[in-house]
Amino acid sequence: MWLIAGNTLREAARQRFFQFLLLLAFTLTFGARWLRDFNFGAPELKFLADCGFGAMAFLGAALTIAATAQLFFSEVDNRTALTLLAKPVWRAEFVLGKLLGVAALAAVFCALLTGLLSLVLAWREAELVRLLPDAVAPGGGVSHAMVALGGLMQWLRLLVLAAFTLLVATFAQSQLFSVVTGFLVLVVCHLQHLAQDAYVRAGSAAGLVASALISSVFPDFQVFQIADSLAAADLPATGDVLRVTLYALGYSAAAAGLAVVSFRRREI
Amino acid sequence: MIYRLKKWLGLLASRRLITVAIVIAGLAATGVILSAIIAPARDSIRARQPALRLDAAGAGQGAALAILGGFRALVADFAWIRMYTIWERRDLPGTEMLLRLVTTIDPRPVYFWLNSARITAYDFPFWRVLAAGGFETVPEDVQRRLSHEQARSALRGLETAMRFHPGSVELWVERANIELNRLGDLNAAAESYRRAWELPGAPHYVARLRAEVLRRAGRRAEALEWLTRLHPTLPPADEGAAADVVLGRIRDLERELGVPKERSYRPPGARE
Repeated sequence: MWLIAGNTLREAARQRFFQFLLLLAFTLTFGARWLRDFNFGAPELKFLADCGFGAMAFLGAALTIAATAQLFFSEVDNRTALTLLAKPVWRAEFVLGKLLGVAALAAVFCALLTGLLSLVLAWREAELVRLLPDAVAPGGGVSHAMVALGGLMQWLRLLVLAAFTLLVATFAQSQLFSVVTGFLVLVVCHLQHLAQDAYVRAGSAAGLVASALISSVFPDFQVFQIADSLAAADLPATGDVLRVTLYALGYSAAAAGLAVVSFRRREI
Repeated sequence: MIYRLKKWLGLLASRRLITVAIVIAGLAATGVILSAIIAPARDSIRARQPALRLDAAGAGQGAALAILGGFRALVADFAWIRMYTIWERRDLPGTEMLLRLVTTIDPRPVYFWLNSARITAYDFPFWRVLAAGGFETVPEDVQRRLSHEQARSALRGLETAMRFHPGSVELWVERANIELNRLGDLNAAAESYRRAWELPGAPHYVARLRAEVLRRAGRRAEALEWLTRLHPTLPPADEGAAADVVLGRIRDLERELGVPKERSYRPPGARE
């Protein structure tokens, strides 16, 4: 399983798509400094952080969905999966290896961007303190622990997304279907709380059943916004962070388990 | 009929359908278990930070992009720039839609709420009167009605903003200003200035404005009492606190109310 995961990571890292998205995300995070002239509402450092996390969320989701579907179907379409499964490798190991490889890829992506974001924020904060000593209140500077937590939350979100995309891929017939469905899952997970609220407001029994089904089948991605601040004072309670982590790992494990079940029933 | 039933049963029994059913059931069971775990964290996340405005209509593609992409601040900023170009053309529906879009995408900056309220309360009535024929053509009562409609719309916006920023002095001051300048409701304005003054970090001019509004509303005794309670709390060295100005207003009010000299206010440290 670890061998498959390692190979998946290496294969993904060699792909131009990964390199392009990484470069784009780096450019966006670093270049946010020059976009600050367009900023009106938020404090400058918050604006920079939003751009960095935005790049991580948007491009990370694109990378995760595309990489998961592509790496899975390349094995199936090229018949290398058959060769691999002819050896003493369980289907479960194959599926979990793929997931771990994509999870590692997402971790590398998030870690690199979080590091860069931290550097950009520290650099700009130092500049602001030098130019405008009153601009940054004492104790009101950037909390790098908060930035790291934000990066961790982005990774957890991508992990869940990868598990769901892999689940779809195990019973889908084409890569395109998996990619499209992966993006639909992303949309639903982001908006499921809206549907929930709307159904509850409507008050109909059918709506409530639909709401309950949607909210239990799809994870709520809003909970990963737990680190939506830069102030150390806003650091969430450890219990809340653990709950969100458990939530992400729980959904990922369930989706991965179901992907194994689905893949075992599939004819390759 | 039997053929169709057989076909339907065959479909039901197909492997893929069974797989899908297992997947949905498995995920639903997981969701039920995990919802109990995440509930306390979700509540605290919702309580701690302003999320996207879920109840706003007309959020459109911009909101969807911001929600999915995470570029809330950036999308809101670009929508704000777009709003200004439309504002220059005095396109009321377009401006209103973009104001709503911006505060929907990113309700965190108070700046957006304040300026939305100002545009709604001060610019929109002006545009509506011009669109109806101009200030010389439109009767004054119609002008007043339009102004009040827009002022109330701005106040509704500020009320929504206060749900996201309950500790914002600026929002209460803006509310008071609109009540004072657009609705002419002096009592409501006095109350809003009082609410603003009670918040931490309120500037001293807010307290002085409340006294002035009370005086204009004919509630001079209340204004005097307010200022006599305020004056001892003002730091004498702080120019913004304007303790001398406040003392001067106290003396004016005492004169207007005919307060006898022996009952007049004595500032702390004054000689007997």
